[in-house]
This record gives sequence, structure tokens and C-alpha cells, in this order.
Amino acid sequence: MHELLETTGDALVLLLSFDPDLWEIIGVSFSVSLAAMLFAIPPALLIALVLARVVFPGRWLLISLANTLMAVPTVVVGLLLFMLLSRSGPLGEWQLLFTQPAMIIGQWLLAMPLLVAMLHSALQGIDQRAWETARLHGAGKMAALWRLLGEARFGVMAAVVASFGRVIAEVGCAIMVGGNIEHFTRNITTAIALETLKGEYAQGIALGLVMLLLALILNLLLGMLRGRGRQIFSS
Amino acid sequence: MLDIEALDHGFAGNTLWTIDRLHWSGREMVHLQGDNGSGKTTLLRVLAGLEPPRLGRVRWTLDGQSLVPPCPGWVVYLHQHPYMFDTGVLDNLLLAARWHGLERAHARERALGMLNWCGLGERARQPARSLSGGERLRLALARAWLLEPRVLLLDEPTATLDARAIADVDALIDDLALAGCAILMSAHHPSPLTARCQRRWHLRDGVLFDDVAQRRESNPALR
Repeated sequence: MHELLETTGDALVLLLSFDPDLWEIIGVSFSVSLAAMLFAIPPALLIALVLARVVFPGRWLLISLANTLMAVPTVVVGLLLFMLLSRSGPLGEWQLLFTQPAMIIGQWLLAMPLLVAMLHSALQGIDQRAWETARLHGAGKMAALWRLLGEARFGVMAAVVASFGRVIAEVGCAIMVGGNIEHFTRNITTAIALETLKGEYAQGIALGLVMLLLALILNLLLGMLRGRGRQIFSS
Repeated sequence: MLDIEALDHGFAGNTLWTIDRLHWSGREMVHLQGDNGSGKTTLLRVLAGLEPPRLGRVRWTLDGQSLVPPCPGWVVYLHQHPYMFDTGVLDNLLLAARWHGLERAHARERALGMLNWCGLGERARQPARSLSGGERLRLALARAWLLEPRVLLLDEPTATLDARAIADVDALIDDLALAGCAILMSAHHPSPLTARCQRRWHLRDGVLFDDVAQRRESNPALR
């Protein structure tokens, strides 16, 4: 117990003294995950809009596929990407293995199904009258779509927050395609795994505290969104 | 203004209604009657261009232009329960003003004018979805009127309103009609609103009966 308290104290000192190594790791985590989200949100929105608004053969198959892919373990995505990017793999020429872009691709693959499924759910729940009212009041198709996103904004934000939470907290894919290289691809989760194995708990706890804080912030955000959503008592 | 030829609509192989020929100059306010399930809402939606007819042709002639629905901003359809965007009362009007292409300052001025017209001037900042049924209909009328449409299609506007709310809406619709907006409303219960209609279309057994056409048929002098 005493050792745990002592290590937690060391962790807080590391955090609050702005230890450069520690904050570099935190920076890698955030830059990689934010980049993955930035690349994932536009195509996911487009796919979700098409799935929610356009009826075509195979639509429900695609929705089921997105729902299924949400459950794929991160290490499986990591394994697949590793095989694709390894020197002998079909994308080996790109020389991306053990780089931040490889981690971004991995997190993009993890974020897409969750984003598509949650955004589809949010957009499908919008009343058909919203589209009709906008169009009959002179909105062009793009303006009407933008309005639909506005109507579904709480669901859209919940999807983004939940997906960001998933990708920044994943470890399997990041360690497989990032390689946990110091000052380059080491992020919060891979660093915690490594430091724990080395018996260096202080940095691990400090990074764990950052993840806890992030989880708290994301959950507070989600809670606020849900609370706002409850005020929509009728259409 | 409205010309219909050989219009036919239905679902899953069943015919809902057939209209051989119909002309409406838009000068008279029309009451579309019919029992539940007779296809009143579907007819209004077809006229608004929200649903394509199975067969036939709908053509609006507005300001010298011959148009096939939908005619956004010209022909506005109000759902039985008008949709309120998830914004404030004033913002609902500003959205329509922006889509209509009004310049920002002018849009605000006009939206505020519309709010006062429909009696919701004090509620500008309130969430639109917190309004009562009658207030929502008044806001929807103001939102539509902001575009100065030539035709307003109202689907059962008074079905769920009390007498006071009907009187409020009645006054607004009176203003719209006086300003030259052609009004076609469906309702299966008589109300002060339906009483002021000069023409009646009745959907019965899949056929539209037009009282004006029937009078012309029975009185050769009116032909």
C-alpha cells in the first residue's frame, strides 16, 4: 500500500513537472488519435448518410457489417495491418510499418465501423419531415443534409466522442504496427504496457491517470449530451 | 394555376384514387374532404411533389411559369404536425429565410416581423419544440409565409387544436388568403376554417368529386 502511494506520488510529480518524455508520449497519443478521427469522420459521415437516407440492395448487409466490425479485437486489426505493411506484404513498398502513419491507419480502421454504426443510428432516427420541410422551404440538397446533421448533432457528437475514446485507449493495434519506438511511436497505452513489464510503475501510473482523466472528461461530455437529448421530448 | 390530368396513385398494386381532370385557379380556398384513409394526405403530398404519382401529370402555373412539383418556396406543404427544427423559435424562421436567399440583416428583420405576425414575438428565444400544438402551427404558418409562397397546402391543420387555437390559426390563414396565397386544406371535421372555403373537393371511393365542376355539369349556363 505504502509503495503504491509512493509510486502515485512520483507519477504526479512526473505529470506536474511536465516531464518531457512523459508529455511527448501523451502528445503522440493525441496527435495520432486526432489525425485518425479527422480522416475517419468525413467518410464515416458520408457512408452513414447514404445508409440512413438511400435505399439500395445490400444496404442492411452493409449496416450489419459495420456492426460486426465494431466487435473485431484491436489486435486482429493490428495483425491484418501488420501483414499488409510488412516488407513482404502487398503494401510493404510504402515502408509504413512502425511509423505514426501506420498507427493512424490502424486507428482509422478501428474508428470507422463504430463511427458508421453510431452515426447511421443517429441519422436514421431523424424524422422524415425534417428533410421534407427543409426541401419545401427552399433548402438545396446540401443545405438540407447539413440541417439533418444539425438535427442529429447530439448523436453525431456522441459517436465522435465514443470513437475517440476507443482509438486513444486501444493498445493491440498500436503496439503491433507502431512498434512502441521511443520518441517516435510510443504512445500512452504502449508505454504503460512497456513500463509495467520493466517494473517502472511511476510513468505507467502517470499515463494511466491521464487516461482516467480523459475517460472522465469523455464520459462527462457524453453525459451532458445525453442530458441535452432528454430535453427533446417531441418532434 | 393547378392542372391535373389522368392522375392515379396507390400502394402495392391497389389504387388509392384516380383523378381524370382537375383545374384550380387558386382564387378560391379549397376544402379537401374525405374519410380517414381516403387519400387526402397522399394527394396533398403528390401535389407538393413529396411523392411521385403512379401515373399522370400535375402541373402548377405560377407567375407565368409552368412547373412540375416540387416547387420549393412556391408551393409549401405543411404536415399535419408541422416539423419544428431543433432550434429556437426565431431560428426556425431564420433557417427558412437563409434557404430562401434573404440577406442576413433583412432575414432577421423579416423573421422578427413574421414572429410578431403570428403572435410569438415574445417567444423568440424559446426552443421551438416546447411550443404547444396551436403555437407550432402558427410558427409553421409564419415560416411558410416568410417565403411568400403562391400556394399553401395544409394537411388537417385543425385536427388536434382547441377552439381558441383554431380561431388564432383562422385569423392567420385569413391574412394569407387576403395576401393572394392560394390555400388548399384537408380536414374531415367542419370548423370555422373549413366554413370559409368556397370550394370543396371530396375524395370518396377512390374518386375526387369537385363541387364547382359538378355545379357546372348540372347548370349549362355555368359552363
